[in-house]
Amino acid sequence: MSGDRVGIIGIGQSAFRARRDDANYPELVREAVVMAMADAKMDFDAIEAVVYSLSPDAMVGIGNAERLGVDAVGGRMKPFLRINTGGSTGISATAAAYYHVASGAFDVVLTAGADKVGECGDSQSVLNKIWDPSYERPLPLGTINMLAMSGVRYMQQFGMTEVDMARVTVKNRRHASLNHNAHLRKPVTIDEVLESRIISWPIKLLDCCPQSTGGAALVLASEKYIRDNHLDAVWITGVAHCAETYWMGDRMGNNPTAEHSGAHALGRSFERSYKMAGIKDPMKQVHIAELYAPFSNTEYHAIDAARLCSRPGESIQRLRDGEYELGGRIPVNPSGGTLCTNAIAVTAMARVAETALQVWGRAGAHQVEGARVGIASGNGGDHQIFGTMVIEA
Amino acid sequence: MGLKVQPGVIGCAIRPVIASRDRSLEEIIYDTAQMALKDAGLTIADIDGIAVGSNDQFDGRSISVMMASGSVGGVDRDIMSTPSGSEHAFILGALRVATGQFRTQLVVSWSPTEVSSMPEAQRLGNDPYFHRALPQDELSAHALQASAIENAVPGARSAAEAVAAKNRAFGTAAWGDQGPSGKMRWPLTPGMTSEPVTGAVAMVLASPEFIAERWIKNVAWVQGMGWATEAAFLGDRDLTKAPALVAAAHQAYKMAGIANPDGAFGVAEMTDATPYSELLAYEALGLCHRNDWTARAADGTFGAGGRLPVNPSGGVLTWNPVFCTGMIRIAEIAQQVRGLAGKHQIPGVKRGLAHAGSGFAMQYQAAVVLGQEARP
Amino acid sequence: MELLGRQEVWSITYDHALGETASSFYTRIRDEAAIYGRRSAGSGKVMVPPRSFSDETLLPTEEWVKVGPGGKIEAFTMVYEAFKNLPPPPYAFGYVLLDGADTALGGYFKGVDLTDPAAAAEKLKIGTRVTTKFAEERKGEMLDFWFELA
Repeated sequence: MSGDRVGIIGIGQSAFRARRDDANYPELVREAVVMAMADAKMDFDAIEAVVYSLSPDAMVGIGNAERLGVDAVGGRMKPFLRINTGGSTGISATAAAYYHVASGAFDVVLTAGADKVGECGDSQSVLNKIWDPSYERPLPLGTINMLAMSGVRYMQQFGMTEVDMARVTVKNRRHASLNHNAHLRKPVTIDEVLESRIISWPIKLLDCCPQSTGGAALVLASEKYIRDNHLDAVWITGVAHCAETYWMGDRMGNNPTAEHSGAHALGRSFERSYKMAGIKDPMKQVHIAELYAPFSNTEYHAIDAARLCSRPGESIQRLRDGEYELGGRIPVNPSGGTLCTNAIAVTAMARVAETALQVWGRAGAHQVEGARVGIASGNGGDHQIFGTMVIEA
Repeated sequence: MGLKVQPGVIGCAIRPVIASRDRSLEEIIYDTAQMALKDAGLTIADIDGIAVGSNDQFDGRSISVMMASGSVGGVDRDIMSTPSGSEHAFILGALRVATGQFRTQLVVSWSPTEVSSMPEAQRLGNDPYFHRALPQDELSAHALQASAIENAVPGARSAAEAVAAKNRAFGTAAWGDQGPSGKMRWPLTPGMTSEPVTGAVAMVLASPEFIAERWIKNVAWVQGMGWATEAAFLGDRDLTKAPALVAAAHQAYKMAGIANPDGAFGVAEMTDATPYSELLAYEALGLCHRNDWTARAADGTFGAGGRLPVNPSGGVLTWNPVFCTGMIRIAEIAQQVRGLAGKHQIPGVKRGLAHAGSGFAMQYQAAVVLGQEARP
Repeated sequence: MELLGRQEVWSITYDHALGETASSFYTRIRDEAAIYGRRSAGSGKVMVPPRSFSDETLLPTEEWVKVGPGGKIEAFTMVYEAFKNLPPPPYAFGYVLLDGADTALGGYFKGVDLTDPAAAAEKLKIGTRVTTKFAEERKGEMLDFWFELA
């Protein structure tokens, strides 16, 4: 190894819940930061710069709410900036922290954030405003409807059924039941999913992520600092982003570059991350995956894009066969994933945190045996901006 | 701290005011990105990664990078976005080049005026727990800072008036006309601030390897950069000081190897949201102690033909595209170093200093040193 | 202890400039009851709704092309849940590839019985032919038109 890698040395995550009336927004951020600092066995003075993780301001109801978080992350008089790429924000903020260290500018960088989605009375209205003011907002677009349409196309192209969608929920809820930090932890059956009320066909209530409240924080450091201080770490060996067209209608029709049934740019981002990490055959080399999938159907195209199956759509059969379960060949979302916990500003950071814990061997009851190489992803915008990482022990 | 790879600025497009409504915001951003690429002699195919800075509340879009991604070439590219400050987009782009993992970065920021009330959009930046009920927008915060400074520093008002006159004179020389004056917010008079206008800015950064390979000769090298923040609550701060800018300048000067900033620069651009912001910046950047503000403002040190011309572009007092004023300051210095600043070019600039401040009473501070000399 | 809350509402109005391309699209909808796209330089794709530049080639689009009124369904969903500021459920909407276009345009699907979701999904399945209907009174906006089964 070159000796100039970037490692994760501290991890903090809330026990995510529907609401937290005992803590206001910055206090939630603080909670995660304190946990990450304790995990890193580190004093705040050691933090040289901070990257703040926060998706749309309107979700927390505070403009530039990162300013209010400065004290929560100990940011006074330190280099501080915020990242927002929508749902992918948490992995983008981690990537930005990675660049802070990889540039040579800093040895120790903190990234942190929190969300209180449960306090926003209008999350789908806020999310409607991600679309073009005149062409698309007059339509009843929200993230659920958008991804219902992705599901409809995936069904048509690959034969996914509503039962297949339910299988994802059943798997992830079973995983979440083992994860104390997960929000929805009650196991469910296929019938319960199918009988839950339809939100946007084919998506039913139990195919949907919850609105979660909680925070997350990571401490990143240079390999030199980690060696010099004899610290324990796991390593970010691959990191990338990729975007596709903003226009959903351009992901359909005649020969679209990015197909709305899939996650084209997520696949491209994984290609870049894998290349950087030297991963040539993900099905053989990846041991655990935390893939951002807020609705059950979207886990299939995320698995396809990560090439954890040999061709698009094959993920359906492999999931039926239990390959992505804890104990299966490549467990996907052993934490329960976004489907069981979605505190938007830090959801994608939780994917990184969970993957890091897995390859570290510290994931607890949902630990994947012998995991050494893991991947994480985040999806932002209208399924448009994707961030990916490879994390290794 | 030292960067592994030194980034250089090879292209800029500065549009401090866009008056017409014949282009949508998405189209304005597209035009601006294309102009910067043209200035760099590149096409989008040469760009490895993108960093944008924008504000959802000003744009009227949740996650405004989404709308802009296609405009700046985000399709199939590695794009990231920061809403905390336009200058932070520049910093992010520079850091990404500095890793050696990217050869080029396009950085873009913009600030529209499509919101019916800019003060209301800014007021939402107050926390709902303690301060939202107060009528606080950025102008009010600037006014609170101005009155604190007037109280702390005898003669500050006359110095501020001289700074405002200097920047307006620069603005007239550079642009002929200038944007509308601001509103009265005691002790700020309309001539001490300016009304928001629509603007946009884009810059192209590249690695030394790329620059050498393409035979690019006219480069503003990033010699140093620093950024820092203050606390959110004004009540927690000493508004008569700019300690975050002291910290940012310290980082930037250290990186640039500048022991004494006095005399180190041929030109500076500062975020003069008010002349008091500029006065505080003089001191925090180590260019002029507060006891000397009145004398230096009067003797033309920072004016045309002075020892260190500050804001030859006319600064924010001339054109105020609120969110992207910080990155415009950096781009102005890049163009000064490249000799491409146009009518307001200062002759013989070898090294320049950009100050970017943003947020309530300049909560965010950044200093960037750009120069013709690449580090050895 | 007693935990308090505070209700806060954001209320901001925006006047977004649509620019020449979208303005022309809407005035044609209003005045001609017709949908137009823009042909992309480089790829030759007809983009509907019209964009002034292609996000793939980053070249300006070149000419106006009249599309529709017929087309086929590319994506749909039927919404059974009430969302704030959205119409009362159930309703169906989605994207249609209009004849002569290369990208799909969003709109409501009207005239389909949504009582039985499975039956409605079959009626709206991808590839189904539809036609564009225009309101008698048109304001020059997206809701001036919708799609019905052909």
